[in-house]
Amino acid sequence: MIDAVGLTKAFNGRAAIEEVSFAVREGEFVAVLGPSGAGKTTLFRCMTGLAVPDRGTVRIGDDDIAALRGRARRRVAVVFQQFNLVSRLSAFENVLAGRLGHVQAWRGWLRRFERADRLLALECLDRVGLLAQAMQRADTLSGGQQQRVAIARAMAQRPSLIVADEPVASLDPAAGAGVLELLQGIARADGVGVVCSLHQVQLARAYADRIVGLSHGRIVIDAPVQRFDQPAFERLYGATASLSTH
Amino acid sequence: MASRAEQALADLEATRRGFTAERVRFWIICAVVLAFYMVSWDLAGVDLHKLATGLPKLGHWLASAWPPKLDEVPLFALRIAETVAMAAIGTTLATLLAIPMAIVASRNITPLPGLYYPARWFLNALRGIDSFVFALLFVAAVGLGPFAGVLGIALHTWGSAAKLFADHVENANLGPFEAVRATGAGRFTAIAYALVPDILPVMLSTTLFWLEFNIRASTVLGVVGAGGIGQELKNSMDLLDFPRLFTIIAMILIVVTLLDQLSSWLRKRLIRP
Repeated sequence: MIDAVGLTKAFNGRAAIEEVSFAVREGEFVAVLGPSGAGKTTLFRCMTGLAVPDRGTVRIGDDDIAALRGRARRRVAVVFQQFNLVSRLSAFENVLAGRLGHVQAWRGWLRRFERADRLLALECLDRVGLLAQAMQRADTLSGGQQQRVAIARAMAQRPSLIVADEPVASLDPAAGAGVLELLQGIARADGVGVVCSLHQVQLARAYADRIVGLSHGRIVIDAPVQRFDQPAFERLYGATASLSTH
Repeated sequence: MASRAEQALADLEATRRGFTAERVRFWIICAVVLAFYMVSWDLAGVDLHKLATGLPKLGHWLASAWPPKLDEVPLFALRIAETVAMAAIGTTLATLLAIPMAIVASRNITPLPGLYYPARWFLNALRGIDSFVFALLFVAAVGLGPFAGVLGIALHTWGSAAKLFADHVENANLGPFEAVRATGAGRFTAIAYALVPDILPVMLSTTLFWLEFNIRASTVLGVVGAGGIGQELKNSMDLLDFPRLFTIIAMILIVVTLLDQLSSWLRKRLIRP
């Protein structure tokens, strides 16, 4: 159970997010929607411990995420828009990076992992359908494949929460759908909470369990995906747009 | 699912085990690198014993350098000014000469493709010979004094700066250049209109870098008789006059630091991202 309560964060006196509260249950896939500049990035930085909110907390179980230091951070995995794989390492070694919060530091320096970790990394690669590409250098993979390696890395971390910041914004529609299907599957099968920001409403409606809508730094919608209708859409993006064209 | 991963891991380990060609190559490379360093250590005459006996000597000199000799400070100031002037004239001359050479030595915009390789070779030759060596030659040709230093700095910096400029031009985005050419503008108009605004900040930044570098480098040009503070530095060392020596070194440090500050301030003023 991940609980964000009363998150507020301002930059130069301007609030980027204000009194943002919502919860993610285990195994739940929550899509965060909202126009550019609504505060999604700030919210995600607070949820991953990269930024400290001015007020409010994000709790993961009994712990405050902002207070998680060092290895404890492994409980929140991050999937980035630009994948952020180490391009000169193989897909396999990139997935093994997910174990760095679990193993002794010297194993990371020498990239020598125990058999169990290597097996887990290969299993994660198998789950994203890239076992055959395990030894390929990350920068030789396509964008969709790279994002799947990044998801395997997140899985190898054995997190309680996966935060994905616009994971499909740089991908073509087919690859994007594949990535969201994977995230949905991980949430269902492993009971991991997934928070994922998206720009396409139809993708959120197809894969998420719940939609949280952010506008001008405040939550304007927090509803199961079935109840995200035209009025909700207009509240989020303004009246000129129409849900059906999306 | 687990079995497929297990199979993959087994395959992986099988290729890593045993006496593979890759492993042999790795150890051969290790042996070659080790041998290289052993020979280099020997050739370089590294002698830790000499360092241990020499360091106290240095400490003794440092101790005997106090109090500094201030009566000759005006002379040192003049010599340092001479040094800075040498670097400034030499770098400016080099930059001006580098611009046409850079155009010829840029594969993508050169008007004379036949001269591309000769131009590159020429620049590499200039770059390969240090300004110190050039100064040595010019002292023989034009006589003792800072002019020999100016020529030495100018020639070496010409090669280095032109190569850097040309590399930047070769990496520049040629889209705007082609767009301007397509309006009917001539080659040099297009360079001036589309490439220069793009490359000017980098050129200014590298020129300032070369100026800083040359000010530091020209402090020793006097050692070969090419003027500037280096001459006084060498005299003091020859006479074992340590108060004088360390006064000069301190003044060089102050001036170089100040000019570095000035240069980075200038860089910020001139170059807006």
